[in-house]
Amino acid sequence: MGVRAGATVLPGHQITVDEQRRLSVDDLLPSKIMHPGDAEDAGRGLRLCDLTPAAVVVWGGGTQMRLGAPPRRYDIAFSTERMTRLLEYEPADLTCRVEAGMRLSDLQAALGAQGQRLPLDPPHPERATVGGMVAANTNGLGRARYGTVRDWVIGIAVAYPSGKVARAGGKVVKNVAGYDLMKLHIGALGTLGVVAEVNLKVQAIPESEATLLGHFETATPAVAAGLLLARSYLAPAAATVLDRRALWECGLTADWRWTLALKLEGYAREVDAARDQAVGAIRDAGGRVEGADLPATFWDAVRDWSAPDGDVVLLRAIAPIAAIPTLSGAIPSEASVIIQPAAGVVDLRVAPSSAAPTLQRVRSLAGDEGQVVVASAPAAVKSSLDVWGPPPPGFPIMRALKQALDPNGILNPGRFVGGI
Amino acid sequence: MLARLRDVVGERYAFADPYEMRLYQYDASPETALPEIVVIPGTSEEVARVVKICTDASVPVTARSGASSLAGGTVPVEGGVVITFARMDRILEIDTENLRAVVQPGVVNLALSQALKPLGYYYAPDPSSQGACTIGGNVATNAGGPHTLIYGVTVNHVTGLEVALPIGYDLTGLLVGSEGTMALVTRIWVKIQPLPPVQKTLMAVYPDVATASNAVSAIVRTGILPAAIEMMDKLSIQAIEAASHAGYPLDAGAVLLLEVDGIPEVAQELGERMAKVCRDNGASEVRIARDEQERQALWKGRKGAFSAMGRLSSDFYVMDGVVPRTKLPETLAKIDAISERTGFKICNVFHAGDGNLHPLVLFDAFQPGQYEAVLAIGDEILKLCAQAGGSVTGEHGIGLEKRENIRYVFSDDDLEVMDRVRRVFDPHILMNPGKIFPGNGLQPSAVRYPPGYSRRQAVAGGEDLWV
Repeated sequence: MGVRAGATVLPGHQITVDEQRRLSVDDLLPSKIMHPGDAEDAGRGLRLCDLTPAAVVVWGGGTQMRLGAPPRRYDIAFSTERMTRLLEYEPADLTCRVEAGMRLSDLQAALGAQGQRLPLDPPHPERATVGGMVAANTNGLGRARYGTVRDWVIGIAVAYPSGKVARAGGKVVKNVAGYDLMKLHIGALGTLGVVAEVNLKVQAIPESEATLLGHFETATPAVAAGLLLARSYLAPAAATVLDRRALWECGLTADWRWTLALKLEGYAREVDAARDQAVGAIRDAGGRVEGADLPATFWDAVRDWSAPDGDVVLLRAIAPIAAIPTLSGAIPSEASVIIQPAAGVVDLRVAPSSAAPTLQRVRSLAGDEGQVVVASAPAAVKSSLDVWGPPPPGFPIMRALKQALDPNGILNPGRFVGGI
Repeated sequence: MLARLRDVVGERYAFADPYEMRLYQYDASPETALPEIVVIPGTSEEVARVVKICTDASVPVTARSGASSLAGGTVPVEGGVVITFARMDRILEIDTENLRAVVQPGVVNLALSQALKPLGYYYAPDPSSQGACTIGGNVATNAGGPHTLIYGVTVNHVTGLEVALPIGYDLTGLLVGSEGTMALVTRIWVKIQPLPPVQKTLMAVYPDVATASNAVSAIVRTGILPAAIEMMDKLSIQAIEAASHAGYPLDAGAVLLLEVDGIPEVAQELGERMAKVCRDNGASEVRIARDEQERQALWKGRKGAFSAMGRLSSDFYVMDGVVPRTKLPETLAKIDAISERTGFKICNVFHAGDGNLHPLVLFDAFQPGQYEAVLAIGDEILKLCAQAGGSVTGEHGIGLEKRENIRYVFSDDDLEVMDRVRRVFDPHILMNPGKIFPGNGLQPSAVRYPPGYSRRQAVAGGEDLWV
């Protein structure tokens, strides 16, 4: 696999210096740009890249471009910026079909006008695209309650290097015809094809919502209270544990070292009951309840915290939820941290200088079933880190899948797990 | 071959006697085909060794466990070895701390929820065949059931297979629903969830299926998402009432069965709100089950619907099409027109909430030409589901039955990509060959009983048939 260094003329459009800079990935600059107008156009463009062959980095809103290893090579910036249409939306069917380049905030606005939403809340929705959310498998704070991208994508159209556009799934919420190739492309970082269209399930916006904070001196009881609630029938829509620094980075201050922030959603009486239950759980765990009068942007800040810009490094540990209390109790003090106990996710922000030792430490804490990835880092830091960790046991199959769908290795070469 | 397989699993658990193997030639679909050898491995390692022996010798492998497939998914159409998971039926771990359970593929779906119940949890996907079908089979077909509307289907509840991890491509998600054509699953991690405190069930009576269908869309538009919305048409109601006296009114044109989960005050409130929407949208009567006994009575009619059909007809052919729920009225009208035109009675009892239709065509297999005519009707119905923006299978799988119909929803390009993916796992097409993909012209190979044979036996024996 890999792209031959060729002297042939690259396909695509000329690119300005400003655009080059805007579309740089890990300090590498593209030579040309392609911005197809629809799925078929994307297929034709990819075919040209494959014939050259030219290395393609796929661009959506660019909010997750700091994820993954640096590309081995970067010739063409392949952007979905012109593919922004809402192709179909029937509110009574609770389904829609959108082009990959549609911004999440635009989609949510269209759904919201009908009292509906996609219950996924990846960071920076005003920039992030639907296709990018699928490719990077970005999930926000609601994942324990509402599931992840894989639970809401019901169909997909993908452009392949062969030039073909192939679909899988469909437009209905229940469908078992053919292979579920949606799953293959979710989180594949565009290494198997370019996601061109996405069919989604949506849901009604809950009729009631509330936020509750519980303050604690140590992480363990805050996490325990969060888990207790998450295992109950009235599970919160979001349960996050923030250390004091992370809370401050999200725009709030507290005298306590750890804060359990709960977002409750549902029918009005359900939210009332969930609030009573949550107050009880916080007090039983020794915490202090704050009936929060929070700035409206608080949850947005918590959501966006895990996709930082600038010099910050974000490490993400994923582990079985029962391992989270132990992991939370051993977090290095140099990190600021947001834990989603019920999702089994611990996000740590560290300075570039301490990224390597913290990564090593957290990997040793995460245990056999845990995984730690560098979710966001500047290029200079990445070169000294193993961003994905060791390849998983199914890796030979993954590499064979890559070979089957992208035989010339033109798609995001080198960015994914194990150098795929 | 037999001797080598016996070396792996033991003398008793591999056999090739045609009489003994008869049990393994069919499932709940009309097609049958005899395997050459049946193997009953006891461990994951034995499964791996059996598969290795078979693939090294280029012998096809077909997995089965509950064999309740309505699409011929477990019929060994190219002969070869059938691996049945009858001995791998243990729940390996129930881990309420992590909200998960680890099971072997042969665990019966209902057995898992029964084991979880004393702990206050359950496994959400509940195909109507849940007393017979297994989690392994559910994974193979990505099985659904009446409660998928709110809780989703099998893939939404399977977090791992004995092949996959959270980093890298999602092989678990890829393999769920692949009908045993890429790999055999030997261990399954599933999500478990707390039992709902209360389930409120109500029945709404309508003059016709179109009015009932529009009521379904109206309910969804209010923002209430019931756990289940099931519909039965006039013919189904009459059959059900004759068989089980569920309390459905005989003069109704359609009955909706709706269920909401929740804490008591919320379930009560939602039940009342749904009742109002039902009435506002043409229901002549709405009845809310007052207690668990009344709730069970309402569900008993629905769950026994298919066996009740035995009272109307000696044979029936079940389909599994899906349409967007807003297309239900026009699709049901078109199915009705097909029935009028062909003279075959067609019943509709189905998951209305997610547009998953189960038209049943009633026929007599011993009348020459009827079976062929019914297959043609099935084909026509699936085509119109596809044209309405739907699918040719919602939960039963493509299997053997619908491998040509898959062309109604996928182009050659779509299927070519799927085939490439399949060959990564199974380069020589030995895993459950002849399923899902069209075009190789294979026919069920061995003994072929009159269509409807197995079903006729089952109905006569008083067993339940499910969908």
